[in-house]
Amino acid sequence: MSLIDRPPVPNRVERILAVTRRHVYVYTRDFWANSFPTVLEPLTFILAVGWGLATAVGRMGGTDYLSFLAPAQAMIAAVYTAAFEESYGAYFRLRVDHNYDSMLVTPVGVDEIFWGELLYTGLKGVFYSAIVIGVLALFGTVHSPCALAIPLVGFFTSLASGSLGLYAVRFVTSLNQFNFFISGVISPLILFSGTLFPIASLPAALQIVARWLPLYPMVGLARMLNTGVFAPEWPWLLLYALTVPCLMAAFAVRLMRARLIQ
Amino acid sequence: MPSPAPVLEARHLVKRYGAEAAVDDVSFTVERGECFGLLGPNGAGKTTVLRMAHCSSPRTSGVLSVFGLDPDERPAEIKHRLGVVPQSDNLDDELSVGKNLEIYAGYFGLPRAGVQRRIRELIAFMSLEGREDAPIRELSGGLKRRLVIARALLNEPELVVLDEPTTGLDPQVRHLIWARLRELKTRGVTLLLTTHYMEEAHQLCDRLLVMDHGRILAEGRPRELVASRLPGHVLELPSASAPTGLPTGTTCEIHGDLAYVYCRSPEALEPLAAAAGSDYRIRSTTLEDLFLKLTGRELRESD
Repeated sequence: MSLIDRPPVPNRVERILAVTRRHVYVYTRDFWANSFPTVLEPLTFILAVGWGLATAVGRMGGTDYLSFLAPAQAMIAAVYTAAFEESYGAYFRLRVDHNYDSMLVTPVGVDEIFWGELLYTGLKGVFYSAIVIGVLALFGTVHSPCALAIPLVGFFTSLASGSLGLYAVRFVTSLNQFNFFISGVISPLILFSGTLFPIASLPAALQIVARWLPLYPMVGLARMLNTGVFAPEWPWLLLYALTVPCLMAAFAVRLMRARLIQ
Repeated sequence: MPSPAPVLEARHLVKRYGAEAAVDDVSFTVERGECFGLLGPNGAGKTTVLRMAHCSSPRTSGVLSVFGLDPDERPAEIKHRLGVVPQSDNLDDELSVGKNLEIYAGYFGLPRAGVQRRIRELIAFMSLEGREDAPIRELSGGLKRRLVIARALLNEPELVVLDEPTTGLDPQVRHLIWARLRELKTRGVTLLLTTHYMEEAHQLCDRLLVMDHGRILAEGRPRELVASRLPGHVLELPSASAPTGLPTGTTCEIHGDLAYVYCRSPEALEPLAAAAGSDYRIRSTTLEDLFLKLTGRELRESD
């Protein structure tokens, strides 16, 4: 153990990827237990909604109700996985297991810890939305090859939702307070973003709010990709989908920096 | 030959949290290859000094340089050459013993080819053989501590910072850790540690600081410090039997149910002891006596 020729200090990207790699490893170590529920969920959804609700509703948004819901369902999966990972999960890593403290004394800096973590969360969003849309495709709910790009939208959906989770981590003082986050932030986000019905059915004032919710453009884009029919507003939705989650993530990283470096 | 630059240098180092100064005008240097100890009661500011040294806490004012670099400006480069053993074992509970080391090596950008060999060396060095696949939750406190130390050595650090490395461990593990730390020192690794154990400071530290309330109370080599500040011997006896008239050259302190009579020579203490009956002890003064003299005997809030 003599002093070796020291390898170079890893650069920023390498440090971010080292953090992502840790999370990916932890996930894949328990791959089936982590992933199988995600396959199961769209199947139960098809049974309940496909045979029950969809028959009752008929058509919505220019398509059968099941095809209307399928891309939204993929985005909802991306929201949930990121929201839980970056609220309860991050809280445990921060307060219980002290993972961040252990990373912080290596060349990895606090910004890289959270960019690496949010990158992982985004990849999880890709994976989960791919499973959901893939399973639902077997039931004839996908109508265009453009749907292959839906998991990419899932990346940005998870990035936004994971950032919200980190905002919550910054302010909660006990695990129970995440109930407020899930029922007070995540549930309304999911319900009012045009997932289950077009926001045109909402009162005018609420429509304005809904339009700015970070999930709204994601669901809109996913739906267009699913049918291959693009509404004129699509470039705006795309612009929002690419930029807002990144800004939200940058703010989350800032908050966590203030929380960890004192 | 010019003396090499110190591994760590602090001048008028200050750390404030709001109005409260956790570290208040602390200056010291750590030379290459030495073991430097920070002693002090809970809340003295020891951990804060370490946190500033390993770039986890920005200083409020003063000068701090590690390997000649400023922690505010070049944290990644400093931490690349540093090993840190924190006060609590923050191992990755999601990973096995071996994977803890492998993933951690990734944070240093260590080339994958050498990592497995390095892990085997460290597993052997800290006597962790056969535990590579064990989950962290199944490890005893002593095994966890050894793994944390192994983890801190992955990048072959030039400076290892240890916050209370053996607190709460049994004597066997403590002695094993001391032996390994001394071995590191013989290889030229610099050590900076905090401890509550005077025995540990005696065993390991070439030089030390006694701190309290964020300030330095004394600094020096352990033996010289005790010799310069206290007479060589002390008689310990129940305060009820404390001598009334003291011979010249002796001083007496009473703390609770015990009295301490200090003197340069043990012979001068023997007549006092004889008068007290059988319940007494004459011994050499230690670092612990000095520590209590400097920091007082009242209880501290734990930090």
